[in-house]
Amino acid sequence: MEYIGHGGKEIVERVIASPAEAKERIKGLKSVAVSGRIARECIDIAYGFFTPLEGFMGRDDVGEVCKTMALSDGTLWSMPIVFDIAAREIKEKDIKVGETILLLYQGGPLAILEVGGIFDYDRTEMARSVLGTNDVKHPGVKMFNGLEDSFIGGKITLVNTPRFNPPFDRFWYTPRQMREKFAEKGWSRVVAHQTRNVPHSGHEWLMKGAWFSANGELPVEKLQTGILVSCIIGPKRVGDYIDEAIALGQQALHEAEYFRDDVHMVSIALWDMRYAGPKEAVFHAILRENMGCTHHMFGRDHAGVGTYYDPYDAHRIFDRIPEGSLNIKPVRILAWWYCPVCGEVTYSGLCGHSKEKQDFSGSMIRSMVQDKVKPTKLIFRPEVFDTLMESADEYGFGSPFCTEEYLSKRQPVFELPLL
Amino acid sequence: MAEACLVNLWVNEDRYDRLNKLGMAGVARDMLAGMKVLQLQCSAEQKDKMLELYPVAKWDSATTGSIELLPAEAKDKLFDLVVKRKKLDIVEEFLKCAA
Repeated sequence: MEYIGHGGKEIVERVIASPAEAKERIKGLKSVAVSGRIARECIDIAYGFFTPLEGFMGRDDVGEVCKTMALSDGTLWSMPIVFDIAAREIKEKDIKVGETILLLYQGGPLAILEVGGIFDYDRTEMARSVLGTNDVKHPGVKMFNGLEDSFIGGKITLVNTPRFNPPFDRFWYTPRQMREKFAEKGWSRVVAHQTRNVPHSGHEWLMKGAWFSANGELPVEKLQTGILVSCIIGPKRVGDYIDEAIALGQQALHEAEYFRDDVHMVSIALWDMRYAGPKEAVFHAILRENMGCTHHMFGRDHAGVGTYYDPYDAHRIFDRIPEGSLNIKPVRILAWWYCPVCGEVTYSGLCGHSKEKQDFSGSMIRSMVQDKVKPTKLIFRPEVFDTLMESADEYGFGSPFCTEEYLSKRQPVFELPLL
Repeated sequence: MAEACLVNLWVNEDRYDRLNKLGMAGVARDMLAGMKVLQLQCSAEQKDKMLELYPVAKWDSATTGSIELLPAEAKDKLFDLVVKRKKLDIVEEFLKCAA
């Protein structure tokens, strides 16, 4: 099997699987404790989710990504992937170019970083070029502004294989494992559905619409097209759905057979959303290309927030991408709405009852649940609702939404075994 | 970017009983194949105040044009005010009380 990822580069796993070898490699290294975001990105880099990146970006790559949406070798790339660190810590620990440092997470060894460069970069400029704004209300601006004042570029190698806790363990696949799974299922085309939501019928139909589009001219007697649900796991805020409910809610659609077993699969991906709208859409396409997908569904306001982007900016950006620089096709989809005239959830691109239509969204459904109202079967599958409530009891301390208690006491998504 | 919007109060059985007793069940709008909702109008200014008071709430500008994810206690107070005043035009009073 070929494991070719973005930019035509082979997906290489940078992981030391042997604990004995890992112990030997980290002996005597200076150590730095890292944030959850950096830990997630170390794992992503090491397993090839960010191919062709082998580590955190150096100054040249960051500069090119910000200015031209490409790496310094010209490969399409829209998001700076940076290792930020306080200049004070670099000085205190006397970290120098050419040495290797140990990265600690949750108190344990996670990865080694080969220090290829130490540099400063204007974080305000980084935010503006990626997000198109410096408004501090934008959550991505907050994230960029919160970065430390120095950066280290260099290759990453995991020294500890993360162990995913239930229920995430059954949804975690590396890019290489993902491709093997697709081959096993006989899929020649795979359309990605990126989500941070427990699915309502609008999401279900977005996926079904995307499947039709991706399947296109292929024969239908033996289906060769699959849907990969890719649940984003990253930082949470009070009021968000709990991560467990998202993954299990998506799986509930599968188990209740709203999707056939041979066309649908749920997975998780580690990523801290920047809410960069169009540029984040390009990044998501690259991520899913590395996961072996051939198509990526983009709905209305993909990765947007507030009114910073036009709802279809994330569609239009793909018109400006040079041919051949992305090996995954965008599937552009309008919203699905409930039409009381048609009596069904239907596609806004086909239904002419725009005066009578009733829009609904993930946030609206969350409000219904908060109001102790069970959404109707037509817009929220009862099996998904039941799963949501079961997840609340099992993982959410009684709530399907993140609470302070959940955020402080939840079981981590993954843990690092003792070396 | 000033735009007016809605606050949706979804009507569960308890709320429906209270509205029914006051002869107000008819003000709830049928939505989404069998659900009932009270839709409170918010001016652009009221929307901004509401979002300032409740930072966890979200103005769903992309799809529904409504303020969603208000805390349960805020939704309950809004509903209580609807019942007390027997009308939907209570957002201004709610904001004055909450400020």
